[in-house]
Amino acid sequence: MRSLVLLRLTLATALAFAVVATTACSKQALAKPLPGGVFNKLFPKAQAGYDVVFTQEKEGFAQAALKKAGSEVAMLSISDVVGNGDATAKFAQSAEKIADQPAVANGSQGTAILVANRFQVQVRSKADSFTADDRKAWIERFSLGDLKALAP
Amino acid sequence: MLFGLFKDKTIEDHINKLPTGGVTVKALQALDFVVPGTWDNPTNFDQLLRTVTREADAAFLDGVKKRAMTLWHDQHQGYQKALDIYTRVDTAAEAVGLATFADKIGESVKLLSFLEKLTPKAETSQTIDLAVKIISELLGFTKLNGIPGDGIGDFVKALEEYAGEARIRMAAIVAFDGIIPLGPEFLNKSADAVKSLTTDRLDQHGGFQKLKGYLPGGSSLDFVQRGFEATTGWMEGFVNAHQLSREGIAGKLRGFIDFSEDKLEYLAAFLDVSVHYFGHTGTQSVATRLIERAASEA
Repeated sequence: MRSLVLLRLTLATALAFAVVATTACSKQALAKPLPGGVFNKLFPKAQAGYDVVFTQEKEGFAQAALKKAGSEVAMLSISDVVGNGDATAKFAQSAEKIADQPAVANGSQGTAILVANRFQVQVRSKADSFTADDRKAWIERFSLGDLKALAP
Repeated sequence: MLFGLFKDKTIEDHINKLPTGGVTVKALQALDFVVPGTWDNPTNFDQLLRTVTREADAAFLDGVKKRAMTLWHDQHQGYQKALDIYTRVDTAAEAVGLATFADKIGESVKLLSFLEKLTPKAETSQTIDLAVKIISELLGFTKLNGIPGDGIGDFVKALEEYAGEARIRMAAIVAFDGIIPLGPEFLNKSADAVKSLTTDRLDQHGGFQKLKGYLPGGSSLDFVQRGFEATTGWMEGFVNAHQLSREGIAGKLRGFIDFSEDKLEYLAAFLDVSVHYFGHTGTQSVATRLIERAASEA
């Protein structure tokens, strides 16, 4: 009798685990990266002396080169961090903020922010003349409010 | 279509096995005046990581590399497909024996010693070769950059922005598949030939057969004709901007190939079977774009 109760308990526990696991899995499956095309219009616009030239548009990612007088000075990007835990982890210790979002120096040439815990916006220098201050200024030129609104 | 062709080989393996010298590299170096000082023939993935990211910190570079490998293995991202397109079009691989032999000859290749092994192509066949190379570039571009639709308009716009190895590859298409075999009238000749192309004739072309699985839906002939026609303006501008001439290119090649002026059709045939320019620079383009993205996502 006791063993039967134990068996029932074990089965019930296993079932409960299975339900939890399935729910977690389906939640993960639901969280698909957004298509890169939705990010394009949120990039900074070209302005005096600068051109923004789109280079890649993939699932969860869009990238553009920033050119000054025809030369590449920086790389601008938005990436959906779903499934990219390494990208989000670096923001955990961040005390700095840009446009009210957690910000980090990413290597010596990059500055990145995490928007709505879902999108990484990064500017990477491709020329010595493009400083950390320039990176911060160009991050602020993205349509960050609209990007935030894309987060589920 | 053999998607997943590179399952066991990573982009790092592909880059690291590229030659550092030999006929392909020398032929590309002969054209690097179109991108002065910006192409150093990357053949080491870790070095390319440092160059593209402009970083030296080992931990950061490890993170970028890890992300690059994840993206490489994700079939949806198109990097493997782009590499497959770039590497399947070269005819050089089909004549490995000759290419290997040519690579071992040392400083200068004597074309005269190869004449018996070389068959110059008929003009029509050569014009289709040129068109197929252009279409391969268009397809590689759309896969690499993720451009939806047929991508023709985006490709033509992007050609203006081509730099480094990608610009050298375009120079090689124009020089080795256009000007050297077809002469200064290569654009008119090929435009006429492509206009009167038929589906049957296109289907008989070996290089085109290898690409077919990558073409967008609809008529292949129409796609090839529209794609080629859209790029002729850019090619004309490129020839003028760099003052590319048969004599000029031949002069550059003379640094490592010994040939006489009346054997240019054999020079073209030799380049066709011994120079692996499309796969070589295509591999470098895929690796560079992949690293650019991985650094943005790290």
